[in-house]
Amino acid sequence: MAAPMQQHRRPDRTGGEPLLRVEDIVLRFGGVTALNGVSFEVHPGELFAIIGPNGAGKTSMFNCLNAVYVPQEGKISLDGVDVMRKKPAETARMGIARTFQNLGLFANLNVIDNLMLGRHNLMKTGFVAGALWWGKAKNEEIHHRHRVEEIIELLELEAVRKQPVGLLPYGVQKRIELGRALAMDPRLLLLDEPVAGMNLEETQDMARYIIEIQEELDMTMILVEHDMPLVMDLADRVMALDFGTPIATGLPSEVQNDPKVIEAYLGQPADPDAKAAVEHVLEAHQHGSDGEAST
Amino acid sequence: MTAVAARPAAVAGDPESAQSLPAILVARAAQTPDRVALRSKELGRWREIDYRTLADRAGAVGMGLVALGVTAGDAVAIHAENRPEWVEADMGIQGIGGVSVGVYPTSPAAECEYLLGHCNAVVLFAEDEEQLDKALEVRGSLPNLKHIVVFDTRGVRGLADDPMLMTMDELIALGQEQGGVDAWSREVSNVGPDDVSIIVYTSGTTGPPKGAQLSQRNLTSAISTYRQLYDVTRHDEVLSYLPLCHIAERLVSVVNALGAGYVVNFGEGGESFNTDLQEVQPTFLLGVPRVWEKMLAGVSLRVEDASRVKRAFYAFWLAQGRSVAGRRMQGQFGPVDKLRYAIGWLVLYRSLRTKLGLGRIRVALSGAAPIAPQVLEYFWSIGVPVREGYGQTENTAQATGMPQDDVRLGTVGTAVPGVEIRIAEDGEILTRSDGVFVGYLDNPEATAETIDPEGWLHTGDVGSLDADGFLTITDRKKDIIITAGGKNISPSEIENRLKVSPYIQEAIVIGDRRKYLTALVGVDAEMVGNWCTREGLSFTTFEDLTGKDEVIALIQGVIDDANGEFAQVETVKKFTLLSKELDHEDGEVTATQKVKRAAIARDYADVIEAMY
Repeated sequence: MAAPMQQHRRPDRTGGEPLLRVEDIVLRFGGVTALNGVSFEVHPGELFAIIGPNGAGKTSMFNCLNAVYVPQEGKISLDGVDVMRKKPAETARMGIARTFQNLGLFANLNVIDNLMLGRHNLMKTGFVAGALWWGKAKNEEIHHRHRVEEIIELLELEAVRKQPVGLLPYGVQKRIELGRALAMDPRLLLLDEPVAGMNLEETQDMARYIIEIQEELDMTMILVEHDMPLVMDLADRVMALDFGTPIATGLPSEVQNDPKVIEAYLGQPADPDAKAAVEHVLEAHQHGSDGEAST
Repeated sequence: MTAVAARPAAVAGDPESAQSLPAILVARAAQTPDRVALRSKELGRWREIDYRTLADRAGAVGMGLVALGVTAGDAVAIHAENRPEWVEADMGIQGIGGVSVGVYPTSPAAECEYLLGHCNAVVLFAEDEEQLDKALEVRGSLPNLKHIVVFDTRGVRGLADDPMLMTMDELIALGQEQGGVDAWSREVSNVGPDDVSIIVYTSGTTGPPKGAQLSQRNLTSAISTYRQLYDVTRHDEVLSYLPLCHIAERLVSVVNALGAGYVVNFGEGGESFNTDLQEVQPTFLLGVPRVWEKMLAGVSLRVEDASRVKRAFYAFWLAQGRSVAGRRMQGQFGPVDKLRYAIGWLVLYRSLRTKLGLGRIRVALSGAAPIAPQVLEYFWSIGVPVREGYGQTENTAQATGMPQDDVRLGTVGTAVPGVEIRIAEDGEILTRSDGVFVGYLDNPEATAETIDPEGWLHTGDVGSLDADGFLTITDRKKDIIITAGGKNISPSEIENRLKVSPYIQEAIVIGDRRKYLTALVGVDAEMVGNWCTREGLSFTTFEDLTGKDEVIALIQGVIDDANGEFAQVETVKKFTLLSKELDHEDGEVTATQKVKRAAIARDYADVIEAMY
């Protein structure tokens, strides 16, 4: 009887209408094709993971989803609405929130203020009313502050809520960044390497929070991550990219055992052509990391 | 809700003369329905619960349990962190004649299985998903357990499908249908002073936990004791943070809270303890030695990081405080001392105490384990009069307390009002009072060994009384070390001296039937980690930290200092650092962080042998 309570993987939700639909995306930077014919669908409440070696195009895909990059070909739609020609801020208003590989928090502000910033695009009262802290503006702030407190409780940030973010450990800062994305009340949450640079304990903590977010908020999430055990434990479905091309999509166990995925990761090619490709991967790795770091 | 006047006069009388805790609650709800009883921090804001609401909810819980088939004498368990629902459930259970059993939130599933099975609990209050999972894991072997009530349903699945599960709200709604608080008040009037009301499982440093049964008389007797000894009133504020299933916290947060009518605050707990304390600024605070030690260690660490001028300033005012404190402890707090203290208060003590959350402290207690005199002296120096008390579950934590104006460090004070103390021929401390418990559940042998026919409780502690009636505790009877040379040594005295160092969290002195003493030392990971950072040493895990030669040298320094204060035979000749932190779940310490010596001796046998 205890089993259903402890089970984290949720029922298959791929039956209904997808929340996000990505079709045949091609993204080029001059002569380099970063993404080549990427298609996938994410269903409501699903945790979809994108994996691949460094430089495979994972972060580029994220940047297309929130309209930082505009792909040359293909179509991206959230609940049937085209995302591609929007401005990044508009995608945020449509309900796409993300966290970053490198922290993007305001180090001198405390945890509450950083989370309140996440709610900024949901605030409706004007500049003057906000400055006077009067009437609707006050009620609105109370409402938003309440929501922020719910997130603080969910992510167990109570003990640090009034501390400047810059003084907190890295693992906690990553959690705050996740909290700020949640504060936007997103419909789709993009997590870019949420456990990068974390120790084992911090990674386990983060995994628990991601599970809680999925279970309690019924959040639809896309996860980009290098930590394979984490991806295999958490994700409902996985897509593997290699040189911007999807090589496998399916259940974690299927993708994990796919020969093409093993090859892409381990670089033990079956033929000489592929061997050249591995060398290319190593090169792309360098360029890829440089490119990603600058975005 | 319903008019309070309609309640039976028999119980809605004077809270001072009520015979049971639920009756006191009923009386308080009738007399001062709008006074704040509890405060709880939820989503960053403090929510207040007045006596009317507390009684209404407790009453509904009680009647809900009746509807579930709970009858007088049935055991009902509560497995939760401190929160208002804990008190509501506790009162609800006791009010219908049930027996309330607290389970430590840190107790693993196997321990829950043992406790719930031992007391034949019929209903369990489980706080949340975590505690519920433990119960679901073992319910197959608990045939008497019929219902599980969940406080916080976040993340809980299958509530609707499982006939055994229900939420607190559902139970309260059920209880309201059964007449709610009015019906419950009638049940309350049937609760007699000698009815067993709670079972407190002793931590069990040896063998499985024993269930100490306490009656309403045991509990209510503590109220007058506290009133006389500590002068607690309805104007006091406390923070509830130690486990509520422990008798000491139960007395502070439930028994005396109802008796004196003061406000109990439930903070966010855990890591937020310091913030909770700062926000509540309690006037009355009970701490175990670990809490006081940790606070002192935190201040020491900050001071070490401060500039030279600040350090000198701090040292100067601390010395002033110490000399004033010395006289204050002897009841000689004269005008000159008051002036010195007042200046110190303006420039240091006030801000330091406010930062620690001790700004308003009037009465501070330390109990549950012996505390080093150096720690007490420190707090007296900054104007926080921490007074040691002595007691145990079996005498409802009532034996001795330190008088306000005659503090003798190293003793645990004099007998509290209503308690007789005697030393047996073999040195064992005996107490007799209304607080002496009913007996251990289903264990007549152990009960007979503990309470003699004349009603004296055999505490298991060895100690001595001086001419003025001050009690000095040597150690637990069974922990006394007799060296190969035949000397009697109290290990806890040495251990507490070692634990004065901010770097040492745990020390276990060994040496029974050996030629000399040795110690297993658990370092404080945070403090030693900070020390390493300052020294420019890098480390990865706790094991790596404790293996460093520099850390071993640091601890050797602490041990050398301590050895200087003891007789030759009491010095620690060798020590080994524990390579892991002792843990309740690994069975090395009890839920109250008391070391299980037998388990340590067994698990670390080769480490210990290597030192001889």
